[in-house]
Formats: sequence, C-alpha cells, structure tokens
Amino acid sequence: MRKIFKKFWFKLILIFGVIGPGIIAANADNDAGGITTYSAVGAHYGLKMLWVLLLVTVSLAITQEMGVRIGLVTRQGLGGVIRENFGVRWTSFAMLLMFVANIGTVTAEFAGVAAAFSIIGVSKYIAVPLAALAVWFILYKGSFKTTQKIFLVFSAFYIVYIINGFIVRPDFNAALVSLVTPTIEWTTPFLLTMIALIGTTITPWGQFFIQSYVVDKGLDIKHYKLEKAEVFFGAFLTDLVSFFIIISTAATLYKYGIDITDAKDAAVALRPLAGNLAQFLFAFGLFAASMLGAFILPTATAYSLCEAFGWESGFNTTWRTGRTFYIIILLSIFIPAAFVLIPKLPLVKIMIWSQDINGILLPFILIFVMKIINNKRIMGEYVNKPVGNVIAWLTIFGIIGATVALVVTSSLGMN
Amino acid sequence: MSIIFCTNMLYLSQILNSKIKDSSDKTIGRLKDISVKSKAGAYAPLDFLIVKGKRRKEYVIPYEFVENLSKEEITLKSLFKSIPNESLPESHAYLNRDVLDQQIVDLEGARVVRVNDLKLGLFEDRMSVLGIDISNKGLLRRLGLERFDFLDLLKVSFIDWRKAQPIKGILKLDTMSKDLTKLHPADLANIVEDLSLKQGSKLVRTLDAEMAAKVFEEIEPAVKKILVSYLGPEKASQIVEKMSADEIADLLQSLPREERDRFLSLLQNGKLKKVERLIKYRKDTAGGLMNMDYMSAGQDWTVAHTLDEIRRVYPSMRSVLYVYVIGKREVLKGTVSLRRLISAKSNVKLKDIMKRMQKRAVIRPNQSIEDIVSVMTKYNLYTAAVVDEKNTMIGMVAIDDVMRCLAPKA
Repeated sequence: MRKIFKKFWFKLILIFGVIGPGIIAANADNDAGGITTYSAVGAHYGLKMLWVLLLVTVSLAITQEMGVRIGLVTRQGLGGVIRENFGVRWTSFAMLLMFVANIGTVTAEFAGVAAAFSIIGVSKYIAVPLAALAVWFILYKGSFKTTQKIFLVFSAFYIVYIINGFIVRPDFNAALVSLVTPTIEWTTPFLLTMIALIGTTITPWGQFFIQSYVVDKGLDIKHYKLEKAEVFFGAFLTDLVSFFIIISTAATLYKYGIDITDAKDAAVALRPLAGNLAQFLFAFGLFAASMLGAFILPTATAYSLCEAFGWESGFNTTWRTGRTFYIIILLSIFIPAAFVLIPKLPLVKIMIWSQDINGILLPFILIFVMKIINNKRIMGEYVNKPVGNVIAWLTIFGIIGATVALVVTSSLGMN
Repeated sequence: MSIIFCTNMLYLSQILNSKIKDSSDKTIGRLKDISVKSKAGAYAPLDFLIVKGKRRKEYVIPYEFVENLSKEEITLKSLFKSIPNESLPESHAYLNRDVLDQQIVDLEGARVVRVNDLKLGLFEDRMSVLGIDISNKGLLRRLGLERFDFLDLLKVSFIDWRKAQPIKGILKLDTMSKDLTKLHPADLANIVEDLSLKQGSKLVRTLDAEMAAKVFEEIEPAVKKILVSYLGPEKASQIVEKMSADEIADLLQSLPREERDRFLSLLQNGKLKKVERLIKYRKDTAGGLMNMDYMSAGQDWTVAHTLDEIRRVYPSMRSVLYVYVIGKREVLKGTVSLRRLISAKSNVKLKDIMKRMQKRAVIRPNQSIEDIVSVMTKYNLYTAAVVDEKNTMIGMVAIDDVMRCLAPKA
C-alpha cells in the first residue's frame, strides 16, 4: 500500500515537473490579491472592464515571454542581469521597487488568510500569526518544492469558477462584446480598480519569478519555442479563470448591486454552484491561493536581492554566511503579517490597493526589461522583434497614463 | 583574506566618470573604463585609460601618460594632441565592463562573489588593481551613501586580486590561475553551478579533460545535462570519456536518445560494455548506483600477489576497501578487507583469510536505496558487492554513492 501511495506522489510530482514556468507563474498570479481584485472588478463594474483583461492577457504573454527569453540567453535572474548592465545605483532603484511591490503583495496574501478565516469564524489574531509561522517554518525546515506543489494542486480550485461561470448562465454575448468594447469612467474608484486589475495580472515579481524559474529549471535556448508556447498558453489560462471570476461576480453581485466590502460578499458569487457551501469553498480557495503566494514571494524576493547585491543565498547556507538572505525572508513574512494585524483593517481594500502598488511600479521594471531585451550585446540574435516592442511600450505607457489619470481624478475629487 | 597595505586608498568607483585634463589643463573627456594586463597570480597593472570625449568619441590613452590618478583629479603629463591615439587592445580585461558588478571566483574561499568595487594602488611603482571589494561598504560607496556609515559599522572586506579569477571577457588558458585547478573538484563543481551557464561552461572548457571529468562527476545532474549540450559534442565527449562508467551511465540516461548514442559510439570498447550494462538499470536502484571499478581477485591468489595487483591498478579505482574474491564465472566467493590483507602473512592464500560470501550481506541490482542503506548499516560495510541471481558479481556500491542520493544538496 505504501508503495502505491509513493508511486502516486511520484507521478503527481512528475506531472508538475513537466508543467513549465509559464503555467506555474500564471497560476500563482491568481493569488489572494488576484481573486479579490477580479471579484471586485465584476461586482462593482460588471462587464465593463473585460476589454482591459483582453489587452492585459496579450501584454502578460508578451512580457512573460521576454522574461523567459532573457533567462534562456543570459542564464541569470533579472536581478543579476540588471546589476551587470546598469551598475549599483540603478540596481538599487529597481530592487527597491521590487521589494516594495512584493511586500505589498505578501500583505495581500496575509490579508487573504485573515479574510478566509474570518469566513469560518476564526479570528485573524490567531490565523495570521500561525500562517506566518507555518510559512517560515516550512521554508526553513521543510521542503519548499513539495509544499509549493501541494498548494498548486489546491489552487486547481479555480476550476470551480469556470464551472460556476456556466451555471450562472451569464450573457456570453454581452461578455464577448465587452471584451472588445473599451469603456472607461474617469473616476478615482474606476481607475483604481483598473490599475489593480493590470497590476495583479502582470506583476513585478512575476517578471523576476519566471526568469529565475527558467534558469533554475535548467531550460536551454533550444527549448525556446516550446517555452514560448507554454507561456502564451499560461497567460491564456490564467486570464480565462479571471474572465470567469469576473462574469460570475458580474452575474451575481453586480446584478443585485452588492459591493464587496468583505470576503463573505465575494463568496456569494459561488452560490449558484455550491449553494450553502459557497462560503466554505471560497474560504478554502482564498486560503490556498494566499498561502501559495506567501510561500513563493518572500523566497523569490530574497533570491533576487541576493543575486543582485552578491549576498549568499539559499536554504543550504548557514545563518552566519546567509544572514542577509534569511533576514530578507523574515522581514518579508513578518512585516506584512504584523501589518495585517492592525485592528479594523479593511482587508478587501488592502488586497486591492496592494495590487495598485504593483501596477504603478510595474512600468519601471518593464523599462529595465525592455532596455535589456533590446541590447544586442546581451541578447545577440534574440533581441526583441518590433511587434513585441510595440506591445510592451504600449503596456508601459498605458499603465503610466492610467496612473497619471488616477492622480488627476483623485486630486480633482472626481469620485 | 590578506590585508592590502597601501598609502593612497583609491577605489575604481571614485574615479570612474571623473574629468581628465591634459597638461594644458584642458578637459578632454571623462573616464569610461580602464584596461589592465591580467596575469595569473599577479596584481594587474593599469594599461590604458578609456576616455569618453565630446560627441561620444572614445580615446585610448596609455597609462604612461598619466601624471596623477586620484579622487580629486586625473591629469596627463603631456598635451592631448601629442598622445598617439591607439586602438582598443582586444585581449585586455576591462575593469568597468568585465570585472565591476560581475561575478568572480574567490579562489581562497572557493565561492562565487560579486564585485562591488575595485581597489587600486601602487605595487612595485606601478598603479595596479590590488583588491576586490565585496563588502556592503563597497555598495554604499557606489551609491554615494558612504557618509551615512559615520560610525564605521560596516567593514570593508577584500579579496586579494591575485586570489581571484575573473570570468567575464577574455578568459584564456594562460591567464587562468593555477590556484583554480588546485581546488577540490567538488568545490569547482559548486562554482560552476553558481556561475551563469555561459561562464560556467567557459570555466570547464579551460580545464584539462581529466580535471574537467572529475568536476563533471560532482555537478548536479540537471546542470550537467545542459552543460553537455552547451559545451558542444567535441569538448563534451573528451570529458565524458574520462569519467567513470557509472557516472557516464547516469549522465547518458538523462540525455535524449540520439545524443546518448553519439556519446556511446565515442567510447572505447571496455568502457562501452560497462556503460551499456549499467544503463539498463534504473537510477534509484543498486544497479543504477553501482560502479564497476572494484578490486577483484582469484581464490588462490597470495596476499603478496594481491597487494602487487592493487599497486598496479589503484589509479583507476575510487576506493579499495575490500578485495572481492571471485571464483569461476565471476561468482563472488567472499571478501577480504584491506585491514585483513595488510596484516596477513604474504604467502597466505586469499581463500584462507576471506570472509565467505553471505547471501544477506550482498545487494541485488534491483534493490532500492533504502534496502542498500539497511544492508550496509547492518553489516557495517563501506562498499557492498552487487550480485545477480547466479551470484555473479556485477558491481559495487560505495558509501559515497549512497550519501549523494540521500543528501543531494551537499
């Protein structure tokens, strides 16, 4: 019996060994901030923002593919490549942005844990510290890879949104029309939600993550075509889920004019599928998604920073030699966890705002990526093609434009 | 780490981008880079200044023309017009482009570190690169924030330039430090893993095939696999040939079929047979773990003859802890430990001192790693014989093969 069990796990791990970086990164994209933001997009604005999602999907595919390509050619993480080509000052700037964005995202993850447990009536003062300790303990003592895989399996929970999306019988025609019909409201809440939608899909950390993943997995440039296809498929898959989250909440919450102020509200969207169990199902999904992010982000942050600044990294280093590495991980777990413990914190808003921070900082990271990928000395024959450049620059300026518009509307008080 | 004494402390970061004036006090441009003549095991004297002038024009100024190189100013001895404009020497290392911010190998610490700054100073009356600053203080200096550390909490730590091996840029065999090849193959393997693949493969290329093979055996399987394709068939097969049969088998199992066949076709006959036999077994079984370089002897051999034989063949063996006594058709009859062997009289025959083969103290090729561990623990074995159903000895599993499976990270 034990042998059979072992074989089963072996196979399961094998399957995830084959699944490439594109799908993993994409899946981890739908974390606590992601689910919440997509739910809010659908609940507050119905189908109005679907066109943004379509554009973002294209941008996600393009930017992730660039990350893969840089990784395959340079065999280094993004932090290392930036350091070797831009010097210490620019590296510090880029790394500061990444650190801030990542701390924001981890905060969203712990807010997700708090929200998930509040649904089943467990106080965040118990849930969040325990979750933070569990993350640290498993990272330090346990197997990061196995844990990551377990939560990845859990996050297959998103399939319920797709099934749910069919059960609620949404107006698919209207949804398809919305996908290609740009509508925009020049108000602060709309722009804030829109930037969060962009920032939760294409993230600074995602850019670092996919590149490191390609390098660590030992993928070679001859796998490039396959990887490209995989990344494109991953982008499609993650946004397919986002699409169904949005139409599910649009068909339920938006229809009845319910705003999401609490995770319980977002769970209502799953009622058509799960009935009274919707709350539990949502709580479980939110928890799994949060924990997946809470595992990946602190580690990814620490690895990138150490690579850029030449500090020793890895869980096989001792406390003495790898002190900085461990301190970064500890800080990026416990600062966000402590923040979430502030009484009466609006958890849902925190989750969405953190995605705004990601969205606002993203263009700057993308500019580094663009400088690198168009440098012939670094990329050789693998420099960007014009199409990729146009889409990437449109993304960069699109987000900057949205940010400027946000500043303008909020200073004019256009609510 | 050796401390470098020097009268005028000067860091590369303090002079990069400084204005350069000629003898008429006319600014000719800003310092973009400095090239050095790098020789293994010696401080590198500055050779040329690369100056970025007006309209992005670049000038190359031989270091002989430099009058003063300091934080405050860089001045030249003669008029700019009178300095011959040389073309960029290709075979040189450039400090800003190839060393600063790049990874280098710290030969003493056997690790890969990132260069935060470079320390320059006089050595035998020539301005040279003396040390590599890898400290956080160096980072602060680069950021222009050094004054924030007014309490001097951060310490500068240097690597002596002579004990470092730059990797980027031109890397030739003759500029490779001898200390590099003195490192233990396992340490070198770690370094290769830490470097980017481009630089790691460059490093492997500069080693001779024998050393490269030893390093290769220690490299993580996943990295090894890519390295092989990165090195190209010619270099890779030179290295693979020198590896032991079990390591070759492991490597070939992870390669696609056509590549595997190509390597197999390049092996000599004797090794080819061993590899082909090994390749049939699964990696995580005794058959996949075992190696075939064990010491075997006949029952009627005398102790003296056996010891002579060990002296003859030991270079090809990784360990000779036991002599395996073999009967007809390679059937395992018993074992003699090295301890027993050297303490026995020289005319005694092996069959009289050997421990008879016990069915439970040997390993079958399809047994798992857990089974191997329990047999080795129970019978206190450092190496265990692998036999088939007819008790024919087909290989040996050594404790280090088992350890590598149990602690793959080390």
